Amino acid sequence: MKLSPMFVTGVALVVLWCVIALVAPKLATHDPYAIDFAAILQPPGAEHWFGTDNVGRDTYSRVIFGARLALYIGLLGVIAPMLIGMTVGLVAGYFGGWIDVVAMRLVDITVPFPFFVLVLSIVAVLGPGIENYFIALALVGWVGYARLARAEALVLRRAEFVLAARTMGFSSGYILLRHVLPNSLSSIVVYLMTDVTLVILFGAALGFLGMGVSPPAAEWGVMIAEGQTYISSAWWISFFPGLAMVLIGVGFALIGDGLARMLRIER
Amino acid sequence: MYNRRIITAAAVLALSGTILMAQETIRIASPYKVTVLDPIVSAGGGNIEAYGLLYSRLMRTDKNGNLVPGLAERYEISEDGLTYTFHLRDAKFSDGTPITADDAAFSLNRAAKDENSAYPAGFAPIAEIAVLDERTLQWTLKHPSAPILANLDIFNAGIVSKDDVEERGEDAFVTNPVSSGPYMVKEWKPNDRLSLTANPNFWREGLPRVENAELIEVSDANARATMLMAGEIEVDRTVPWPQIEEINNTDGVSVKLEPSTVLYLVLPNHTRPPFDNLTVRQAATMALDRAAITKAVTLGHAEVANSTFSNALKFYDPSISMPAYDPAAARKLLEDDDLVGTEITMMITPATEQIATLLKAQWDAVGFKTTVERVDAGLWWSKMANADYDVTSSWYFNETDDPDLAIRWALCGTCGSHSYYTRYNNEEVNELTEEALREGDEEKRAGLYRRIQEITVSEIAQIPLYYTPYANGYSDRVKGLSLTPALQWTLEEAELTDG
Amino acid sequence: MKTFRFIALRLAQAIPVLLGVSLITFVLMAATPGDPIRLLVGDRASPETIAMIRDRYGLDDPILFQYFTYLKNLMVGDIGVSLRYRVPVSQLIAQHYPVTLFLVLYTIVLTLPPVIVLAVWSAKRQNGMADQIIRMMGVLGLAVPVFWLALILTRLFGVKLGWFPVSGFGDTMPGHLLHLFLPALSTMIWVVPILVRTLRSALLIEMNRDYALTGMSKGLGARQVFRTHVFPNSILPTLNLFAVIVAYLLGGSVIVETVYAVPGMGKLMIDSILARDYFVVQGATLVFALTTLLVMLAVDLLSALIDPRVTL
Repeated sequence: MKLSPMFVTGVALVVLWCVIALVAPKLATHDPYAIDFAAILQPPGAEHWFGTDNVGRDTYSRVIFGARLALYIGLLGVIAPMLIGMTVGLVAGYFGGWIDVVAMRLVDITVPFPFFVLVLSIVAVLGPGIENYFIALALVGWVGYARLARAEALVLRRAEFVLAARTMGFSSGYILLRHVLPNSLSSIVVYLMTDVTLVILFGAALGFLGMGVSPPAAEWGVMIAEGQTYISSAWWISFFPGLAMVLIGVGFALIGDGLARMLRIER
Repeated sequence: MYNRRIITAAAVLALSGTILMAQETIRIASPYKVTVLDPIVSAGGGNIEAYGLLYSRLMRTDKNGNLVPGLAERYEISEDGLTYTFHLRDAKFSDGTPITADDAAFSLNRAAKDENSAYPAGFAPIAEIAVLDERTLQWTLKHPSAPILANLDIFNAGIVSKDDVEERGEDAFVTNPVSSGPYMVKEWKPNDRLSLTANPNFWREGLPRVENAELIEVSDANARATMLMAGEIEVDRTVPWPQIEEINNTDGVSVKLEPSTVLYLVLPNHTRPPFDNLTVRQAATMALDRAAITKAVTLGHAEVANSTFSNALKFYDPSISMPAYDPAAARKLLEDDDLVGTEITMMITPATEQIATLLKAQWDAVGFKTTVERVDAGLWWSKMANADYDVTSSWYFNETDDPDLAIRWALCGTCGSHSYYTRYNNEEVNELTEEALREGDEEKRAGLYRRIQEITVSEIAQIPLYYTPYANGYSDRVKGLSLTPALQWTLEEAELTDG
Repeated sequence: MKTFRFIALRLAQAIPVLLGVSLITFVLMAATPGDPIRLLVGDRASPETIAMIRDRYGLDDPILFQYFTYLKNLMVGDIGVSLRYRVPVSQLIAQHYPVTLFLVLYTIVLTLPPVIVLAVWSAKRQNGMADQIIRMMGVLGLAVPVFWLALILTRLFGVKLGWFPVSGFGDTMPGHLLHLFLPALSTMIWVVPILVRTLRSALLIEMNRDYALTGMSKGLGARQVFRTHVFPNSILPTLNLFAVIVAYLLGGSVIVETVYAVPGMGKLMIDSILARDYFVVQGATLVFALTTLLVMLAVDLLSALIDPRVTL
């Protein structure tokens, strides 16, 4: 399998962000939460590389620390939907029958909902915060994984090696875990990479709309919102966190794109 | 010959001017929604601003801020200050029917006594309203009220058509409401815009000068500023402080800072720890560099608050002062009472994030442990009403320059809103509030209100932060338009020029 | 006749889905803390007034009772009255829906030319320039946050260059087109690459099929084979994806309309959620759901029309 340069770039970007998140305190030049009345709205310069915000905090340090939250949200946020979705999809596709009917009706109901509205409504019920965002994702985000996994399972249940395993008397659970699951993983992993990007984006959108992480957390969406009214006088407050978001998103998207090509999932 | 040419030219100019005027529209973009056109059911910001355009009142505030007769041509007040007789002028509603004493009595009774009335406080002293004849109206009060005449110019005292409201019910305020004010509804698109056109029967002759007006809802401040600078709107209601400079640097538009009674403040919950403790409130006040906070948030456009009264209210006392910024002393207060590490949960809405960040930083610096809890406006009000919070930050304004309603809203514990839902409840303040309302002598009233300020400042009923003006952006083409401290547009007297 | 039965069946299947959607929305809204009446009457109203109005709107009745009342009214075509504006929800939807529909259609019209050009170009020359461009666009389209992009685009095009109005809908047709250009552009950025990829892979499959190769070996020009056979046959998978994209566009309108202040369904939805305007949220959700279901149905019918092999 040949590694494409784009895939390598993606991996490098994601690794870079992980490193940044890990050693954030070493990289940051200032305390990301320290307000400074004397340094409000400073443009980028030698002292403050990305300038300062409306309460004198160092934008560069906040962007660096923001990587922790973004990765935390992106990586943790996809776990529950993936596990739930894969289980539902594999079981439904493999066994068929009423399990499949029930699962697919549930999927049908979620499809016509605008995804973001559903997440937003659930967060409104539970209250703002990352944990509640995760719960909302778990309730809604599994659908995509379920459809993928079900499609794979429908094909795999008729595959020769699965039929062989069944005639040899292996239990359904064993077959699902040892044969069906591993063979459906590749398409799920590709989807996972897209999903990480989306989960980070939607998390930031919630922060932007005032329903995400509470201030003064260094969260990119919140930072973009904070800088919104300053876009004419202090563009850097919103610009840099947005740029960081693009760079982390591109990283995961490139990995997804590269994997898809290498595993020949599309074309 | 020469003279006649000038006269003709002037006539042509005047004529073309009128024609131009007739087609002109003043477009006002505002983040505040117009949600309901019935003047008694809402005290929400966007609605208040629209009510004044649709409904005239018995009294009116002129452009110099003086109270002058409105739909009431003249009035008499009895010796004991309990009976008010109003003589209405000859005026018509937009549908051509006459505005009678019946209509006025009906409208004021709704504001004062209807169970739907959102804000009856100003008319509470009214015992009865009698209609003497078609054009004469008489009130009797339960007790004297110094500001009641001025209260007649509050947003919910607008005169509506009795016949129409009785016939159509709620629908009277949804489709083609009958108007008594300078404008009437041309089209209402909820959640988008309210299009108005001049009321041909408006009682002030020759007004309004500008034929059409639009109240457009644009929640994003950047969008509003850009629209103003690009000439897509004539007025930007609420320019955020950081955008003032850019607008003022643009040709043809500028920001006016207009006087207001707005007070930004920190609201502690007096019913539960930690803010039920005066020492905590003192330490929390001394921890705050309120001058620096004011400068950081408003970029120098506001004044630091010294009193629990707005500086635009009558009887405001400039000599009073809150405990000064002294973090070391604040820390000491906490240490002495073993309160270091006291946990605070600060409830905020997205609109107060910057203030919250500053408060948290300064409180934590003296030994508090502050957690910020973000809620949306809907939840904020529920939690306030149920006293389910530790501390929060907000603002309020007063409809008139008389302090009575402001105190009833924010400092009186028995006046309905429990001191802006802080549950601050000082019996002396409550009694002083009632006494001052009934006091006819200005000097004595001043004394009573000074006492209220002294008590509420020393007990730190609230932590006042700063007094802000309204910052509105106007196209230079608009003349004579401003937003009064009572949140009313002077649109009926405004003009649009060519350049 | 068969088609007719198919449509009837699909519509019948939609009913339980819509019921499910409405039940979920209802429960979510009822469970959301915060009082719509407080937001309606403003900050100065007394608790008594609020309790009275809550009672009038039946907001204190048991939730299931409220839901059945809602369903009962729905049966006779009454989707309720907005708590905030006191106007029928149907009026609000009639006012906001065309705007969103216009935006979606406009986005689609802007999307098609680049999609077709890029897909054909890249299918003909695999792993060439076009391929790289599409891949980069796909990656960027996924990664760029719309609310941030909107901030930058309005600053650049709206203020610095002054080419486009930055918000609203406009009053005339050219006005609509100008006002909605930036919102449409922000959406295109991620829609184009998705559609291009699908169309491209469909084209590749068709180009390698026997009939195409045969046609060319019989002396038909490559161009003619492509135009008369390969391209039409490749439309189908893209069309199916299109139904999904329309659903996404409707959903995406929520964020795009909010950041560009477009007075459409998305903005209505967010505003209504924040104001706890229960019946508007409920009505808007149903309209979103119904639109998606109808588009899916339309696409299926269209597929059958284009390709007789597709059975309904």
